[in-house]
Amino acid sequence: MNIVLGVLLIFELYIPNSLDDALEFLAKYYPDAMPIAGGTELLILIRDKKIRPKYLVDLSPLRRQFSYIKLENGLVKIGALTTLWELSNSFLHNDVRYAGFQDVWHKFGTMSLRFMATIGGNIATATDFSDYLVLLLAYDAKVKVSGVNGERVVPLGEFIVERRKPDLKPGEIITEVFFTEPPLNTSSAFEKFDRRSILIAGLANSAVYLHIDNGRISDAKISLDMIKEKRIPGRLRVLEESLKGREFSIEFIEKTIEETIPKHVEKYTDWWTTGDYRLEMTKTSIKKALLRAAKRIGVV
Amino acid sequence: MPGLHRVRFKVNGREYELEVPGHERLLDTLRYRLGFVGVKEGCGRGECGSCIVLVNGEPRNSCLTLTARLNNAEVTTIEGIAPPGKLHAIQVAFIETGGVQCGFCTPGFIMMAKALLDRNPDPSDEEIREWFTSNICRCGSYNHYVEAVKKAVEYLRKGIVFFDEREVREKLHLKPLG
Repeated sequence: MNIVLGVLLIFELYIPNSLDDALEFLAKYYPDAMPIAGGTELLILIRDKKIRPKYLVDLSPLRRQFSYIKLENGLVKIGALTTLWELSNSFLHNDVRYAGFQDVWHKFGTMSLRFMATIGGNIATATDFSDYLVLLLAYDAKVKVSGVNGERVVPLGEFIVERRKPDLKPGEIITEVFFTEPPLNTSSAFEKFDRRSILIAGLANSAVYLHIDNGRISDAKISLDMIKEKRIPGRLRVLEESLKGREFSIEFIEKTIEETIPKHVEKYTDWWTTGDYRLEMTKTSIKKALLRAAKRIGVV
Repeated sequence: MPGLHRVRFKVNGREYELEVPGHERLLDTLRYRLGFVGVKEGCGRGECGSCIVLVNGEPRNSCLTLTARLNNAEVTTIEGIAPPGKLHAIQVAFIETGGVQCGFCTPGFIMMAKALLDRNPDPSDEEIREWFTSNICRCGSYNHYVEAVKKAVEYLRKGIVFFDEREVREKLHLKPLG
């Protein structure tokens, strides 16, 4: 018996025995083969006929190998197949230095999707609404990629080439994302704004990583869902530079955001809302994220 | 190599061995191969939660789950939440609070409530609502559902997990069993 309701296009599923097996299959059948992790985005894209892969390579046999969250040699390492539920049960949700992870968690999809979606999948999706991507950019994270020709490490900022186009060569998959363990007196925050509170792409998404020492901002990293032109997340380095070394105050933050954002950020207009509104909300979301991160450090 | 996949898994405690194509969704396997029609298809894209079942105790949108990936898994549907002739405390609480209107979304809500209470036996209103972000109720019974979960918490706290279905039907003036 073969049940096809016509809502999913027909594809073959390949269940690999090992990482090498998966990579070889992906390389051999590139671009017709795609890896499937949580499947919460990929299966919808297939259903909507936006992509038509002939083969899906099931990554779940590799979960034992690539599902972990650990602190090792001063690096926070997250295996690509770690689900968001697993992430929520880790130290990342109990330490103020990683508080932004909790913010993203509460805004990500719906609860059941958080049991299925993986961190690697969210990065590979490579869109302006890949929430963990925006947050991990603020942590200056790097991505470890495994392929038939071995491993390589790419800074996350360079990894997303175009919307829905991560820098993955034939036969490559993301195996880990990692970033440097933040020092004390740091925290992060993530802001996502839309008309509803949940199951949203977000009109303005921003993430902030802040390090405040003796009232002064010693490090600031700010990332947005998009900066200009390309609809891919990126860092807002101009604003970061204007904040560094300065004393943290609400007035100063407001003034700097007002001066910087209109010059360096451009948003688009579509059926959902206007570019001007998105820009206005971007200012508000950065301000809120900065204040929340500072409050978490205990400054305001 | 690709083709049909032999999958051995348990549904509501009973073992099944099936041959399924790689693209077959768990939703279709449960409804159309195995007859578990308590699993509903609403949106088919992971937004409405009508198709939520438990896979190894974790809530899953069965419309976004491929059966071929579930070798050795244990699946629980609304039909398996209580033994035959019994109703689970969550089901009874849903009936008593009038949570069920058209009833289409109810199995998904109950499975989500089960997943929540398995992990947190005394959730706050906020937590219940966060877990119910997975489900959409067209009739708008959300407040009733939150009340139902709180009522289920009370039953479970007293150690009452299952009710006799016949007695519940009689007490609540529901249609008697066949």
